[in-house]
Amino acid sequence: MRRMLMERGTDDPVFGHFGAAAGYALAARRAMYTFRTGPETWKHIAVGQRKWANLTPAATMVGHTMTFGDYYSARWIVEPFRLFDTCLMTDGGRAIVITSAERARDLKHPPVLMMGMGQHNPSYDVHQATHLAGPTGAKKAGEMALRMAGITLNDVNACQIYDCFTYTVEITLQDYGFFGPGEGENWFRDGTIEPGGRMPVNTSGGQLSEAYYMGLTPLSEAAMQLMGRCGKRQLGPTTNTKSPEIILCSDNGAILQTHSCIILRRS
Amino acid sequence: MGDYHKPLPKVNGDSREFWTGCKKHELRFQKCSVCGHVRWPASMICPMCYSQETQWIVAGGKGKVYTFVVYHVAYHPGFEKDVPYVVADVELEEGPRLLTNIVGCRPDEVACEMPVEVTWEDITEEFSLPKFMRV
Repeated sequence: MRRMLMERGTDDPVFGHFGAAAGYALAARRAMYTFRTGPETWKHIAVGQRKWANLTPAATMVGHTMTFGDYYSARWIVEPFRLFDTCLMTDGGRAIVITSAERARDLKHPPVLMMGMGQHNPSYDVHQATHLAGPTGAKKAGEMALRMAGITLNDVNACQIYDCFTYTVEITLQDYGFFGPGEGENWFRDGTIEPGGRMPVNTSGGQLSEAYYMGLTPLSEAAMQLMGRCGKRQLGPTTNTKSPEIILCSDNGAILQTHSCIILRRS
Repeated sequence: MGDYHKPLPKVNGDSREFWTGCKKHELRFQKCSVCGHVRWPASMICPMCYSQETQWIVAGGKGKVYTFVVYHVAYHPGFEKDVPYVVADVELEEGPRLLTNIVGCRPDEVACEMPVEVTWEDITEEFSLPKFMRV
């Protein structure tokens, strides 16, 4: 691990700068200066996703509840991120099978259809980036995916967002257009993304509370939810949420330098 | 200076002029001779206009904190005595943003857009590091 951090080829380690948590923390700090955000917003993401993990048998954190008090009392990692702002480290795997809709109809599980996708890559390294507080690649990638799908955000029943850090969830949903800059704290408040909420997000617990399988944590959960294979955390009457027809997923690379949006639909 | 236990710069063809300048307490950057863009990190071509025509300038050492973080975990044993310490992205008056440390004040005194100026840390016979202090 240390060798990995040291041999990246940049001179960041000279100044004691290592790894992704600090890179995203630089972005999050700039966002705190640019618009109203910070732990008051992020606690809703950490705690909300943990409630989903508590319903997910395979989740690392299935047996561990979290209160706002727990969130604030956790140790700093790289300020402004505390422990529960950062994703888990996980050994394991995930896979999804992609084929034509025609072939998928003959398979055991009901297929899930891809409605739209978009990508946008701001590219610039965090040191020179001007997109740290948005708009990130999520803005154009999201617009592209929605256009291809022929829908608006109002048609989306749930989101599975790449959540390496809590701030990533906020800036992604903000850039998709669910709320304006700095409106996240109000939008997340009162359980919006939790079981029973009006816009469920990261319904397995996500990378923060289930497991880190890169882009496949959000994508596989969206597919499983649309197939109806999610047991106690199944969207619909089981969790007092809307039965999902359309789920929006995101993936994200480096320090907000690459972004993909994929919209899935129940067949 | 023989007991410096933190990572040292890995000098390459692009960055040699920068680190040579640092040893003389000069912040050297490439300025595009065609469009005037001052760039960092050093590179063969201008990221704005793709010209290879370039000259090295010496920056004045003044800037402001674009963003910063406070490390509470030492990911390398050389930093164990430093935590909590500040890593910042400092925007220089000439344009480039430089990853560096803010020194000389408490971490909770650092803020985005805070004016700073360079201060030099001579770490080995070969290297001096540009760090920044509140103005």
